[in-house]
Amino acid sequence: MTAILNVKNISKTYGTKGANAYTAIRNLSFTMEKGEFIGIMGPSGSGKTTLLNTIATLDSVTEGEIIIGGTSLSAMNEEQLSDFRSQQLGFIFQDFNLLENMSVFENIALPLSLRNTAVPRISATVQQASTLLGISGILEKFPAEISGGQKQRTAIARALVHNPALLLADEPTGALDSTNAAILMETLSDLNKEQKVSVLMVTHDPLSASYCSRLLFIKDGEIDQELHASNSREQFYKEILEVLAGTNERVIAGEAR
Amino acid sequence: MILKLSLEGLKRKQRDYFILFTGLIVSIAVFYMFLTLALNKEFITGNSVINHIQLVFIVGIVLLSVITFFYLYYTNAFLLSLRKKEFGMYELIGAKKKQIKQVFLLETMLIAAAALGAGIFLGALLSWLVSSLLAAQLNVEFIAFKVFYGPAAFWTMVYFLAVAYAVSFINNRKLAKASINDLLKAEVKHDPLPSKPKNSALMIFSGIVLLGIGYVALFFMEILRFIGLFAAPAATTLGTYLLFASLLPIIVRKWKRNKKMNFRGLNSFTLAQLSFRLNELKWVLATIAMLIALSAGAIAGGFAFKNNAVLSVDEERLYDAALYNPGDAEEEVLETIALEERLSYRFKMDEEFVYYVEDELAANPPLIVDWVSYETKRPGPFPDNLKIDEDGYQNLGDQWTMALETINPAFSTLGRHRIVSAETFEQVEAEEITIVLARSDKFSRYIEQWQELDRLQLQDGARLYIPMDLEYESLYSKYSTFESQYAFASGTFFMGFFLGLAFLTMMASILMFKILSGANSDIRRYDSLRKLGVRKKALEASISKEIFIVFLFPALLGLLHVFVGMRMFTFVIIDPYYRLWISLLIFLAIYGSYYFFTVHLYRKLVLPKG
Repeated sequence: MTAILNVKNISKTYGTKGANAYTAIRNLSFTMEKGEFIGIMGPSGSGKTTLLNTIATLDSVTEGEIIIGGTSLSAMNEEQLSDFRSQQLGFIFQDFNLLENMSVFENIALPLSLRNTAVPRISATVQQASTLLGISGILEKFPAEISGGQKQRTAIARALVHNPALLLADEPTGALDSTNAAILMETLSDLNKEQKVSVLMVTHDPLSASYCSRLLFIKDGEIDQELHASNSREQFYKEILEVLAGTNERVIAGEAR
Repeated sequence: MILKLSLEGLKRKQRDYFILFTGLIVSIAVFYMFLTLALNKEFITGNSVINHIQLVFIVGIVLLSVITFFYLYYTNAFLLSLRKKEFGMYELIGAKKKQIKQVFLLETMLIAAAALGAGIFLGALLSWLVSSLLAAQLNVEFIAFKVFYGPAAFWTMVYFLAVAYAVSFINNRKLAKASINDLLKAEVKHDPLPSKPKNSALMIFSGIVLLGIGYVALFFMEILRFIGLFAAPAATTLGTYLLFASLLPIIVRKWKRNKKMNFRGLNSFTLAQLSFRLNELKWVLATIAMLIALSAGAIAGGFAFKNNAVLSVDEERLYDAALYNPGDAEEEVLETIALEERLSYRFKMDEEFVYYVEDELAANPPLIVDWVSYETKRPGPFPDNLKIDEDGYQNLGDQWTMALETINPAFSTLGRHRIVSAETFEQVEAEEITIVLARSDKFSRYIEQWQELDRLQLQDGARLYIPMDLEYESLYSKYSTFESQYAFASGTFFMGFFLGLAFLTMMASILMFKILSGANSDIRRYDSLRKLGVRKKALEASISKEIFIVFLFPALLGLLHVFVGMRMFTFVIIDPYYRLWISLLIFLAIYGSYYFFTVHLYRKLVLPKG
């Protein structure tokens, strides 16, 4: 197994040093193997979104290093980071972030046209991705004309269409009802198992988290606990709930810090 | 309390307010500049030419007021769009609609008042700049033109405060209708889907037909006269609106259909933006095309009128100077001019006749214009041996009558001419006068010299032997003819320039604000694209392209209107297309700077920082 993501001793401090400074991540390290499906959980303000943003190259770290597919992020300038995002990363956001003024087809095709892929190739790849996600019938529609579940599938298709090294998902089920959320997580899980897509997902939802192969629990900017998937998803779900309950009890008991 | 909160909010969005503020100041400055010109009583009555065209000013003020109203309406809507979310929040925490309306009204009035101070100052500065530039260019002085003019400042203030009140009232009603939820979610509003074109083929067809009718009417204005005067603006305007409404969405759709183009880089996004933008802006763009035609036309018309003074005087008078008994001073001036031809004749004048020498005339016949064929030529031989009829008139023929007028312009209306032999001429008991005709390679190149020659000739009035009072009448020279025509043309030029400038800046500002007021909903889109890994440069280029096309369409059609429309002036101006490129350059400079300014501000508004 090769490491797709290597996070080494990163820290992120906002504001100038002193009273106003706020440290969101402290000396955090972990490694992600190719084909893994990692979930990041933690209470609000624990630093999980900051962590995702730094891996997504949208935010820089104050200390430490992030290596994706052998490339260190800190060595790149703004333009190189843009190119890196468009080539190596795929994004799924809670609020879909589809471009409302473009059709589903155009939305999915965007990462390919950004690389100036030839039109026949674009058509074939978009068809393939949309068939995989079951949205090939709505390609000519606009985002305003389709359901939330369909929007999120479109977003996944767009995130996958250019074969990124790593798929980053920020609360992908956050805006979906439970049925659509379950369908979406099945899809992500299938993509992970069958297409060997590496997925890193931030989530609040224990049910969504139970689809992951490994979970990192973050608290106060540090990894508090790590959990590996057990035999069945149901079993894993129970374990997640126990960890969360434990965290809550600790918070109530006043030993959060 | 709400007021305090609101002021805090104002502080937080300083950058956006700065944009709004600059726009307002520009519009106030233009409005004021126009009013100083239109209301300056002493100036208008002191300039007979401008006095004649006051009606144009009134029409100009009405037009400018209407445009300013819409301008303020758009800026105010922009202001509201900036504050919606915040107002929704105040409502959420229990502020009453009435309180929020008051805050918004107060804010609008405060901004208007502050902008008025700065705007009038800038307006005075601009008036000074434009009037002194024009005065220098036209070689005239604007008598009694006051740069800071009380009534103009007063009416600018009254108008802007009244309109600010009115537009904030209208926008307040919109605010009142919106629910808290609408306000809170104002920034994540969905765009309407692009509507499918209805009857667009019919609309395009009738648009083209109407535009054709308008253009034909403009082209044959001289023949059509009254019908043309009515049909041209009506058909052209209607045709423009129809074409913008039907053709623009189709053009963008055609572009989008071209897959190779659409799926290249950010094109699909740029075209999608454009398609929404053009759909939303089509009426505004059509209006702007018409205003471009008006403003560029006014500037071009002014230029053509000014040039016409030179052209018409050149056509009327073939010799640039006719000098009576020129002395050393005159000769000195003549030496500085590249002369193409210099002719010299003698004449004598008694109580009855003006005498010329036959041989001198025959040896050097001057150039004349044949009034039938309009050809420039020299007169042929004398007719019938210059017989004298029973009434004492000498038969000179048309050509030589005209030649004598050319030779001796000041005397052409006095007495009767006699062309006589050299011997007879010697016997006439009168003083011999020499007259020198001078023709340069280009009259307009030596204006100062002609002016000096006129001055020298007038200095010694006695030398002219003209029985007229020079205190009241001017010298009948080519220069003096030119001067009076030029003064008239300059007035027209000044007016056309001012009017054109005012319209142009105003409508470019409207376009700018119309685009900027939609910027808020675009912020998210550009942020999504950035997250997807689109380079900042590519985002910037996409914005430049999109706004370029939005600016381009009205400019193209507007300028086409000008090209066709200028022909209309052929029956008053010899060459209406004279130096059209200067007007075009002025137009492009102003319009272009607005384009760059809009792109710059838009980028600042929508592109993620850092």
